[in-house]
Parts: sequence; C-alpha cells; structure tokens
Amino acid sequence: MWWILVKLAWRNLFRNTRRTFIAGTAIGIGLAALIFVDALWIGMEENMIKIATSSFLGGGQIHQEGFRKTQEIERTINQHHQVMSNLKQEEIVARFTPRTFAFGMITSPAHVIAAALVGVDPVTEKYLSHVDEMITEGTYFEGDNERNIVIGSKMAEVLEVEIGDRVVATVSQAKTGDLAQEMFRVSGIFHFHNHEMNRGMAFMRLGKSQQILGLKDDIHQIAIKFTDVKYGQNKLLPFWRKYSKYGNEAVSWTEILPELETIFEWTNISKVLLGFVFFIIVVFGIINTLFMSLYERMFEFGVLRAVGTRPSRMAQLILFEAGSLGVLSIGIGIILGIITTYICSKTGIDYTGIEVAGVTIQELIYPVMVIDQFIFYPFWVLVFTTITGLYPAWYAARMSPAKAMRRAG
Amino acid sequence: MTSQQVIVTEDLTKTYSANDVPVYALRGINLTIAAGEFTAIVGPSGSGKTTFLNIISGLDQPTEGKVWLSKELISNMNGRQLSDFRRDNIGFIFQAYNLIPVLTVGENIEYIMLLQGIPKIERHQRVVDILEVVGLAGYIDRKPPQLSGGQQQRVAIARAMVSQPTIILADEPTANLDSKTGSELLEMMYQLNKKTGMTFVFSTHDQAVMDRAQRLITLKDGLIDSDNMQE
Repeated sequence: MWWILVKLAWRNLFRNTRRTFIAGTAIGIGLAALIFVDALWIGMEENMIKIATSSFLGGGQIHQEGFRKTQEIERTINQHHQVMSNLKQEEIVARFTPRTFAFGMITSPAHVIAAALVGVDPVTEKYLSHVDEMITEGTYFEGDNERNIVIGSKMAEVLEVEIGDRVVATVSQAKTGDLAQEMFRVSGIFHFHNHEMNRGMAFMRLGKSQQILGLKDDIHQIAIKFTDVKYGQNKLLPFWRKYSKYGNEAVSWTEILPELETIFEWTNISKVLLGFVFFIIVVFGIINTLFMSLYERMFEFGVLRAVGTRPSRMAQLILFEAGSLGVLSIGIGIILGIITTYICSKTGIDYTGIEVAGVTIQELIYPVMVIDQFIFYPFWVLVFTTITGLYPAWYAARMSPAKAMRRAG
Repeated sequence: MTSQQVIVTEDLTKTYSANDVPVYALRGINLTIAAGEFTAIVGPSGSGKTTFLNIISGLDQPTEGKVWLSKELISNMNGRQLSDFRRDNIGFIFQAYNLIPVLTVGENIEYIMLLQGIPKIERHQRVVDILEVVGLAGYIDRKPPQLSGGQQQRVAIARAMVSQPTIILADEPTANLDSKTGSELLEMMYQLNKKTGMTFVFSTHDQAVMDRAQRLITLKDGLIDSDNMQE
C-alpha cells in the first residue's frame, strides 16, 4: 500500500513542475551553500593551522613549567638532553628544534628597541619555521659567524639599519640578573605577514644566545613538528602527558594560541546558526509548497478520503510528498554544492592579507570537500523536510471529506 | 430494519452555521431504501440533496438523527471506522469524475482494492474485467487527462464498482456530460444495477435520470416533499 502512496506523492510533486523546481532549487541552493561554507571553513582552518604552526610555533612545544607564564630566563627545560633523546624515538614527531627565548634591547647608533631574542639552531630550525624563507634581504645564518643576527623588517626600519650594520643586544643573564651586552652584525632581514614578528623578533645562533644569557647548554623551548598536523590539535594525545614530566610541560599549539582555537569553535557555532537559518527557510518553503499543493487538490483529497483512505494514510501521503521534495532538493543541492566547491577548490579563494586571531592568511584558501558534507547536511535536509511536512500532514488527516469537496467545489 | 433495507435514516437533521445564522439543510428525514433500488433524489438547489448523500455515505455527520447502512449504525462511527466502512460498502461517482490525474486508469481503479488489501493478481484481473464491462478495455495505462469526459466517467463508474460495494452513490453523475453520453452511461448503470443487484442512489437534476429511476424522492427545504415508485 505504501508504494502507491510513494508513487502518488512523487507524481504529485511534478504536477506543477515550475513550483516544485523553484522550491527544490531554493532549498538546494541553501544546501549547496552549507556544503560550500563547510568546505571553505575546512580549507581556511587547515590554512590557518598551517600558517600558525609552520611559521614559527610548531605543532607543539616543551618548556619548563611556568616558563610560558613568567618568561623567566632561569626556567630552562629540565633534563633537556633526555627529552630530546626521547623525542628522536617518537614516531609521530617529524622534527624538533631547541630554542632559547629572552626579552632584551637591541640598540643601533640611531635607536633602541625592545625585542624577543630567540636563539635557534639554524639547521633544525629550518624544518620548524619559515624564517629562512621569509628573508627579504641578506641571508639566513650562512657561514659560521656567531655574531650574525637576523631581524624583522620593521625592526630594521626603526633601528635604521641595513645588512652588515652593527647592533648591540642587551639581555639580563640567568641566575645573576647581570646585564650582558654583545655586538652583532645584521646578516638577514625577514618579513612575515605579522606586524608583531617583524617589529619585535630577532634570531641569533643558539650557542651565542646561551652564552650571553649565561645558560651553558640549557634551552627554554623545544618546538615540535608532527608527522600529521592533526596531532597538534589533539589535546588528548598521550604525547602531552608523556613529556609533561621532570617539571616540564608539553603543550599543543591550541594551548599556545588559544584564540585561534576559539575562532574555530566560533566557526562551528556560526555553522550551526547558518544551518538553523537555512532550515527555517526550508520550513517555510516546504509548508508553503505543500499547502499550495494541498489547497489546489482539495477535492482530490476529499475523494481519496471518500473512497476509504484512512486519515493516517492521508498524513503518510503528505509526508511522502514532503520527503520527495526533500529528495529532489538534496539532488539539486548536492549537484550545485559539488560544482561550486569543486571549482573553488581548484581556483582557490583569495583572502591573503586578512588577519584572523593574530594569524595572517598568506595563501589562497582552497575549500576542502569531505564525504561528511554530502551525508550530514543532506540527511538533515531530509529530516527537516519530513518533519516540516507533519503540520500539513496533520491538516490533511483531520480534513473532513465532505468539507474538502465542498470547499473545492 | 429488514435484510432488504440497505439504507435507513431516522429523524435525520443537519444544521449549518453561516455567519452565526443557523441554516437547516435537513429537517428530520425518515427514509428507507431497499437493496437493489435504482433511486433518484431530486430537488432544487439548496434542498439538501448533496447533504443527504454525504450523511448517508458517512462523509458528513448529522446534527441529530441516526443512519444505518447495511445494518450498521454509521452515525456513531469515528473517522477511521467510517473510512473502513466506506471502503468496503460504498462506491462513489462524482459530477466532475474526480479521478487522480497522476495515476493511470488502471491505478485509479486499483487504488481502492489496495486499501482493501486484495492480492495483486486478483486486483489486476478485476481491473481488466471492469474495464471490459465499462467499455474501456485497452485504456488501462492511459492517464485521465488523455480521456474524454464520458470516458473519465466510465472509469469513475468502474472505480466505484470494482470493490463490489453494497451501494453506489452518484452525485450528479451526468451533469458534466452531453445528453448522448449521459444517456449511454445512465443505461450502463441501469444495466449494472439489474445485473449485480447493487443499490444505486443518485442526486440529480437530469430529467433522463429521473425518467430512468425506479424510485423518485423529492427534497424541498430539507424535507421529503414526495416519494414515488415509478413504472
């Protein structure tokens, strides 16, 4: 019996082809928009994570407990040789690099500027950050001159220095707190799409930084690159607990840059809101279409009831019509969604230069299609269209056959 | 109620409210129709013909009074019981044919048998047979819009009769047809009445139907004005 109702519902849908296609296309466009926005956000998230983690941060970091909060020079990583030895054994760790980190002053003959002075191992640092790729003038620690320093473009502008000019770095030494000064020669100038880094960061060789900070061979930070960026997002990864010992803490980038994760959480909320608005449109679209169709065929409904169709069957018929409209809309939506998302995933969307949560988008955003988009959203469209059909179905079920035929007549 | 009586009404009253003004469509109809009768209910517009037909078929509820159909008191049934009762006992023929345009002729006729749960093979055989009876063999896969008015009404008659109901209620069945086609269909229904013994009750303005009717009941202002058996 249900089969004839399905057949009837599907055929009824095409009695007014234009209206059905207008309603179906409207819902389909909404579905395609949801699929596209989801794909765009995945692309944007991947892009932002890549920028945030590969520019300098890494997928995770290890410090002594409290260092991130206090930035005290004395808080170096405990048993760092053991930690680095263990990291070499980790399958999920692709690369890691040690760093020192201190705040100090850099002085040129013209000016003085506060700076974050980062001691790096140029060889391993290349795998963790893009500083070497962002050099716009000079070179990135070529040769073995310990007095080379690489500074940001804005810092160079403020200090009024060029490649080869001398600057003096002043830092407070560990334990004693004595001020130490050292002369450096500007060997490279970098430019990130990040104003803070360009103005406030300077890189020197690890050995030299350890020396002027009085750290012997101690380090403040180990930046880690994972074999898969997803590890860095996983707060429950056993890795973090494993390396949070000896008084050290291992943290993912999501803890170092929580504002970015907050943005992603808000993204999910905005997707839900977008979906909600869309489904409200679906509700009105479906109700409107079904009721127009229902009023047009009032006599027919009266006849169906007259010949013995039970009220529940009438409700089923309307629900099948709503479901059929949903299926049609999903078909249209998926086709439109695939076409638009595919085209944009090939051409990319240009958001370069836009800064989100301190991360400047540097590359084209490529929407990413995943199978979930074509299951999750269509499923909910079908559920919503069918649920929306409940009211017209209830109306049709309650309809008195005599009144239906009288009204139509 | 005897076994020969298929329709019995007792003090049947129906009142509508139009802008808070009561309109008395039926004012206490007492009527008995026997099995196999070929009865026409006539009267001017607003006399209560359609209301009477709707109530005796269970499409509408009386304000007061009782209706028995095939010995069942239908005026107390709920919606679902009435649906099942109509499905098994009453065939309808409407003025405007009222076939489902998206279903084929065969599917239109088959629909009621689907409701009755009749097996597929039997359904098909009955459809073929009834189309033969109404002179539309070979039209099984046509859609109603592809048929003439007369042909559509033949399909409507087939649909009404295929479930082998006790009573056929026909509301102005010839009103939308030319006189020749109307006469042909009337003759066909008359012969089916004679052959099957089904009770036919018409609501009509058509003189040809009145002339053919075995019994002529005239309604006026919601009351029976006359009730005559004809030769």
